[in-house]
Amino acid sequence: MVIPEAARDAIDAAIGRYPEPRAALLPALHIVQRELGCVPLEAARELAAIFAVAPVEVLELLSFYNLFRVEPGGRHRVNVCTNLPCSLRGARALLRGLEAHLGVAAGETTRDGRITLGHEECLGACAWAPMLRIDGDYHENLDLEDAKRLLDGLE
Amino acid sequence: MPTITVDGRQVRVEEGRTILQALDDAGLLMDGVDVPHYCWHPGLAVDGSCRLCQVEVEGLGGLQIACNTPVADGMVVHTTSDRVRDARAGVMELLLVNHPLDCPICDQAGECKLQDYAFEYGAAGARTREPRRALQKRVPLGPTIVLDQERCILCRRCVRFCREVTGTGELGIANRGDRSVIETFPGVELDNPYSMNVADICPVGALTTRDFRFKVRVWFLEERPGICTGCARGCNVWLGVAHGEVQRYTARRNDRVNGSWICDAGRLSYREIAAPDRLRTPLVRGEDGVLRSAELDVALDAATRRLRELIDAKGPGMLAALASAHLTNEDLAALRRLLDRLGVDAAGLTLVMGEGDDLLVHPEKGANAAGARAAGFGDPAPILERLRGGGLEGLIVLGHDLLHPTLLGSPDALDDLATLIVLDTHRSELERVADVVIPGRHLAEKGGTLVNAEGVVQEVAAAVEPPFPATAQAEVLDRLAEALAPRLAQAGGDG
Repeated sequence: MVIPEAARDAIDAAIGRYPEPRAALLPALHIVQRELGCVPLEAARELAAIFAVAPVEVLELLSFYNLFRVEPGGRHRVNVCTNLPCSLRGARALLRGLEAHLGVAAGETTRDGRITLGHEECLGACAWAPMLRIDGDYHENLDLEDAKRLLDGLE
Repeated sequence: MPTITVDGRQVRVEEGRTILQALDDAGLLMDGVDVPHYCWHPGLAVDGSCRLCQVEVEGLGGLQIACNTPVADGMVVHTTSDRVRDARAGVMELLLVNHPLDCPICDQAGECKLQDYAFEYGAAGARTREPRRALQKRVPLGPTIVLDQERCILCRRCVRFCREVTGTGELGIANRGDRSVIETFPGVELDNPYSMNVADICPVGALTTRDFRFKVRVWFLEERPGICTGCARGCNVWLGVAHGEVQRYTARRNDRVNGSWICDAGRLSYREIAAPDRLRTPLVRGEDGVLRSAELDVALDAATRRLRELIDAKGPGMLAALASAHLTNEDLAALRRLLDRLGVDAAGLTLVMGEGDDLLVHPEKGANAAGARAAGFGDPAPILERLRGGGLEGLIVLGHDLLHPTLLGSPDALDDLATLIVLDTHRSELERVADVVIPGRHLAEKGGTLVNAEGVVQEVAAAVEPPFPATAQAEVLDRLAEALAPRLAQAGGDG
């Protein structure tokens, strides 16, 4: 079993909150990702067994939302919003600059396993564009130097 | 029953059905009332994803998808208005935005709904300049089916088939938007006894069977109605005939028998028709004990002489007949006429029992088992008993199901028979002990009437000529009866 006991309990609790057990599949994916950093295929297979659906149905959900990952990636996930308002305020240049700074392309992980860099669709922080997200936290109204400092401070 | 009006035509419909279902129930869909559709299928639940079946319903603003709009008494529907045609053209344009338009190398070309409706509603050129999505052109989904991701229009028929009909759920749609593709879970294959139906219901060339892929252009096929002979279900099939040979079976819809599906084993059983082990020539055992090929007349003479000698010497009580459950009612009636003329009572049905399931596959492995029983061919056990105990002198065998392990097994018990006449379509171990072997025709080569396990009587016509001289079993039996008649009549008719 790759899904830890505690996560399994949280999933059961989530199932109990819905009239239709299947409805808890999306929360369950979040629980697994929080616990494991991603949803590996083996965990998807276990979820399919828990929810009594075909494994491909878990894959459908998992692949539909691009916030779910099947690969673990780096210790921190840095995502730069590249939707229109952020792009108008220099998000693309910001992303290119961070790619150069870290030596990886968007979607890749630094060799030391510290950071997985990526771009992101709108996170609803357009008023403080450009912005990026480090793991769960928003960092707004950035220029390249601010952003580099933020990244350099990550463990 | 509510009544709706479709293009000025009154249609009585069942409560709770949708417009498309009601048209299908009335036998009007695509046969009087053309409402093009991709995702809707009579054997599957409503999906409403392709948007092509939009129609105008008076009193409702906007166009409605016919597949998912419930009927109501007095509803007035228009399927041919300019608004509807414009909507269809718009949907077609969207469906074609990413289509590779590789019809020249696509197996579906010629029987493709995308091609048909693009021809009817599509524009001559595309308004988009963006590159079309480039995806995998040959993804093996399992042992039977290959996927072309670029051609797929994401109607989800295949996905729903595997969930709703077989319950195996191998297929899904991965990713989102214009990255969506049909997928299996890594390590899982599309592999179930009905898998090839997904190629039948794929409205485009995305899913093809490995069996038929690139085999023959479909416009060279003549589709003729037939019946699968694999089991007592008697599933309706189309025989795709080209170059005088059956190239494939596809499912032929019959809601009383098989719905819209056939099993994979049945689908591939067309191969039996032109199989290398077909019996190609009559065989007669000579004085020296060697079986040699012979003309049909010679074989019939030999059979007549042997049967006459046996009956003269031992009486008809020492002769029996075993009929295969694959024979048509016409064959069985002819066999009955022959047996009556000979005065033979002992007649049994060699029916092989096998696996069944709760969808279509029936445990009785013979398309006309019910017809044979109705014609008085029953339990073969007493005859098999006499064969094993040496209590018979002669046997007429139709088909070689007799050799199945659950029946006689080995032909050894037939060794002591004075006379063994075999009438069959395929070669078998019976040749080792038979005195006369006469080739018969496959159902596809003779047509006839069959009764399925539910008692549904089905008639089909011959679809192909046999690739070598073979005579329908009924005709062979009638000729035998005729040849034997004068002598028996002279004997006083007490046979």
